[in-house]
Amino acid sequence: MNPFQYARPATVAEAVALLEEHGPDARLLAGGTDLVIELRNHWVEPKLVIDLKHIPELAPAITQRKGFLSISAGTVMTDIAEDERVQHHLPALVEAAVVVGSVQIRARATMAGNICNGSPAADTAPPLLVYDAVVVVAGPAGTRRVAVNDFIVGPGKTDLQRGELVTAIELPIPDRPYGAAYTRLTRRRGTDLASITLCAGVDAAGAARIAFGSVGPRAFLVEDESGLLGDPGIRIEDKVEPLDKMFELASPSLKSLRASPDYRLAMLRVLGARALETALGRLTKELVG
Amino acid sequence: MSAQSVGSSPRRGGGYGRVTGHQEYLADIKLPDMLHVKLVTLDVARARINSIDVSEAESLPGVAFVMTAADLPDPMPRFGPQFQDRPVIADGETKYHGEPVAAVAAETKDAAEEGARRVKVDYEKLEGGIFNVTDALAPDAVLVQDPSLRGDSPFAQTNVIDEKRFGWGDIEAQESDLVVEDNFQFPMVTHFAIEPHGFMAAPTGDGIEIWSTIQHPYLLQKIMAKMLQLPLSKVRVHAPDPGGGFGGKQIPKFEPLVAFMALRAGRPVRLVLTLDETFQQVRRSSAEIRIRAGFTSEGALTFMDVETNFLVGAYVDIADRVVSKSSYAAAGPYRIPAVKIIGRTIVSHTTPSTAFRGFGIPQIGWARESLIDEAALQLGMDRLEIRLLNLARYKEAFIPMEEADGDWEQTVRTAAKRIGWGDPLPPNRGRGIAVGLKSGPTTGLSYSTVRLLYDGSAMVYAGTSDMGQGARTIFAQIASDELGVPVEQISVVMGDTAVVPYDQQTSASRSSVLMGTAVQRACFDIQGKVRAMAAELYGVDEAAIKIDSGNLLLPDRDVAIVDAMQQALAPLGGEVIGNGEMRKQKDPNHPLGGTAAFFEFNCTASEVEVDMETGHVTLVKHVTVGDVGRSLNPQQVTAQDDGAAIQGLGHTLMEHYIFDDEGRIRNIGAIDYRILTSMDLPLEMHSESIENADGPGPYGIKGVSEGSLLVTAPAVAAAVREATGVLIRDLPLTPQRVWEALQEAKDGS
Amino acid sequence: MNETLTIRTTINGRKRTIDVAVNHTLLDVLRDDIDLTGTKECCVVGECGACTVIVDGRPMNSCLMLAVEIDGKEVTTVEGLELDGELSALQAAFLDESAAQCGFCIPGQLMSATALLAENPDPSVEEVQEGLAGNLCRCAGYEQITKAVLAAAKGVPR
Repeated sequence: MNPFQYARPATVAEAVALLEEHGPDARLLAGGTDLVIELRNHWVEPKLVIDLKHIPELAPAITQRKGFLSISAGTVMTDIAEDERVQHHLPALVEAAVVVGSVQIRARATMAGNICNGSPAADTAPPLLVYDAVVVVAGPAGTRRVAVNDFIVGPGKTDLQRGELVTAIELPIPDRPYGAAYTRLTRRRGTDLASITLCAGVDAAGAARIAFGSVGPRAFLVEDESGLLGDPGIRIEDKVEPLDKMFELASPSLKSLRASPDYRLAMLRVLGARALETALGRLTKELVG
Repeated sequence: MSAQSVGSSPRRGGGYGRVTGHQEYLADIKLPDMLHVKLVTLDVARARINSIDVSEAESLPGVAFVMTAADLPDPMPRFGPQFQDRPVIADGETKYHGEPVAAVAAETKDAAEEGARRVKVDYEKLEGGIFNVTDALAPDAVLVQDPSLRGDSPFAQTNVIDEKRFGWGDIEAQESDLVVEDNFQFPMVTHFAIEPHGFMAAPTGDGIEIWSTIQHPYLLQKIMAKMLQLPLSKVRVHAPDPGGGFGGKQIPKFEPLVAFMALRAGRPVRLVLTLDETFQQVRRSSAEIRIRAGFTSEGALTFMDVETNFLVGAYVDIADRVVSKSSYAAAGPYRIPAVKIIGRTIVSHTTPSTAFRGFGIPQIGWARESLIDEAALQLGMDRLEIRLLNLARYKEAFIPMEEADGDWEQTVRTAAKRIGWGDPLPPNRGRGIAVGLKSGPTTGLSYSTVRLLYDGSAMVYAGTSDMGQGARTIFAQIASDELGVPVEQISVVMGDTAVVPYDQQTSASRSSVLMGTAVQRACFDIQGKVRAMAAELYGVDEAAIKIDSGNLLLPDRDVAIVDAMQQALAPLGGEVIGNGEMRKQKDPNHPLGGTAAFFEFNCTASEVEVDMETGHVTLVKHVTVGDVGRSLNPQQVTAQDDGAAIQGLGHTLMEHYIFDDEGRIRNIGAIDYRILTSMDLPLEMHSESIENADGPGPYGIKGVSEGSLLVTAPAVAAAVREATGVLIRDLPLTPQRVWEALQEAKDGS
Repeated sequence: MNETLTIRTTINGRKRTIDVAVNHTLLDVLRDDIDLTGTKECCVVGECGACTVIVDGRPMNSCLMLAVEIDGKEVTTVEGLELDGELSALQAAFLDESAAQCGFCIPGQLMSATALLAENPDPSVEEVQEGLAGNLCRCAGYEQITKAVLAAAKGVPR
């Protein structure tokens, strides 16, 4: 890889200052699982790499605050998957975190990085959308909070402005019984990049939503307007039409190596139905339990 | 006295280094003062090279020089195991995606990489690239190879390198109640050894030393000596144990390039490819197979007609031999009155295909076994029964000059029993069964030297490459039993042509049989010498001394060979040296140049469950049974068979090169070329051996290592067909492909 | 020119102070700078696991880490698995089960397995397969490797 300068700020403020000064010539190093590949392949050629792992505010931590869990930017997938509070409140996020790469990747890859990288196939994007995650952004003008749905923009693009970085992701703890499930389509069972990522969420009032990725420029969040999808009394076979409607935004690439558009579109429906069933099952269990 | 070693599973020779990180693979070796080499390639398959500007690269700090075709002898030296067609470096034109056009030598890896990025190649993409069989055979097709390289071949003005025609009987004269015909395809897949290929060279003043990840060091030595006009004695090849070969490391690739660079530099140079670069250098030949067969109403085969077009790469490498050997056995292990076989070697603007475990048989076996199932279906016969009915019986001549060398029926029945053939199946489940047959080596020449040292330990010298198959262990076990030396006290020396005597090659599952015999004979040589020493020492007639399990059986007592040797050599010490040779001569009358030393016969049976909504195939149970003659080291035999089966599941379920329409491989590297991981295994796996001690090797062994992947694809596809009702004619059986077939069937009905 | 940084780290129990190029990966530095060649290079995209090392208790792909990132951390490579010249239980089990064939992936497999057993001393077959799914073996000795890990887990407590 090309030579570059390496900086190790000790505070978020220092990191912000560096980012503001160097703009697109600087890249952030969190988990590095994407960045190092990009550097080696000369896909990015920064003059400065800013290592965030020496900033105490960003150190791996999952903190429970009033009504939400705050996951710091340095928190890796393994931490998230192993956290009992996340397992309890946000099972679909755990399901997404445990399929990111291999054990080795999950020990390094951060969730913040997963979102900031802007990959349409990012595993954690659909559950973050379904759970209404909020991205905490620090920048020259201070801290701001952005709904994850507004944060994700397109392939490789986020709402981050010059000088800004993500310091944490906040996940509201559902304040009502909630069922959610994550699933994905891959070419093999072992580690793989997904051809579809999908998360379904339902509550007892029958509100259903599905977030899905890898079939368009970004992961989409769609609310069910029919009111049928979240109804446990209706058989899944009778939900075909409203389910189809959920995926109108899907526009899978013709050029992808991983799966054809036809297959992806068909599998969206299959996976959507399956995730929905699982989510409804979880909701019922919560209501009963 | 050592316990019997043959038939047991001692710890692997070289195992300690492998679990501690001390094993030296090629890339772990550093030569003093060496230069690092990086290749320059183009992101195009077929291109004309107009000019190469190396000035900027050569002006970089640390870059020593850039080598291009212009720096090599004119005409460009060419080499290859069958045809002298591969240039040392691309000469005027690239013929496949990833063919190097220049190579940068630098003091550091960083400088070499930077230099490679600064070499400016002025090139133009050429139209008419040949990337499939149809285009290759078109009347106006661009010729991949210059006809001047083709000698007096009748096919010189075409992209066909050669056309093999085999057969017997008259297929037109046969009366059949049923004739079935179909077309099948087999994709390009790559070896994906975890160790990427690597090459080093160092000038020695009057000769050269070469290091390579090669499986055939003596072939490399011969090619380099010829190219550099040096005597064999001045070309020393070091061949550290390869980190996986699977056939991909048999034939020299960039050794000549690094040798010329080392000679130019006057210093050692090293080129270690990346995995991505390796992907562009070796693959299995793809194939299109048209197959037709006739049957009586009882299911007996009346004829078979097989025509295979193998799409090999830009240079022939060993692919033409792949075509002839696999075509010869195309009709499989069956008794068939009339057979017609055509196999074509067709060049293209793609990665040169080479030997790959199975050597062409998986391609043809895929078509043949799938067709037999179709016949069974149409005849209303059981798929196992139709195979048993037609299977050649023990010692039966089934191909001209070849007879069945094992009880193959026993193998098939064992596999059927293991898979639970005929047991009721739950919904969405299916089973398949297939038989595969591959010829072992048709010629061979292996020498071994064994030294029985004074302290009772021993050293075995064998030119085999231990690339994971465990040859070191096998040879130590043989020597252990013959000399009465514990396995742990035997060192096996390999991989240095200056130290170890000649071996033809490590391929075709030959080493246990051929080199094993040479090792055994070297031990016999020692036994004979010690017997003579003992006769004198104990005052016994030499003819009265028998030898058994490392002991001399004297008329009145037994003496260990080691004890007799020590007494005879005292007080000075010393050692007893034995030599052994195993030669399997050419047979000019045989179409392949020699009969098969043995056949690898395997029956593969599989049970799958198909997710009818997604097309995902789950291997519920996978069984392979091989006729191994005798399992010399059961643990290693099982490991080889399991491994071959899993590799076969790779090309069956997920592996294939994906090309763009310009002949560029789109899924280079480990992210988008999928192989099985530990999570993709069959839920239950069995690899079993049939042992009738009827092989040609020591103690009745036959070769193993390839059998379990010969017919993985047809067994699994047959199971998928039973589960779903759909017949799929192309591999791999990805979820998408299975789903598409299901959709097609749905739309059709 | 490459910028360098002096880092202090512990590798296989030995404290080291080394100057590393900031644009070199941990894999580069282990193999090229300090001659710990047991860690293998294959895919360099974090897919094959041949370069796996343990950093502060967790298995990681050294091809995807900059060497500067191990500053202040503890690294274990395959060369650090033997204790007082004795093979670890895992290493011995790999030998006993013939889990090492060509051997090229084995250092990485051992590191992942070592980290797995440290975290989960009594794993199920599925947990072993999941724990080692980031380590490709083209000899496909997965059955033997899994057996070895289970045998080591049952055997000598470490």
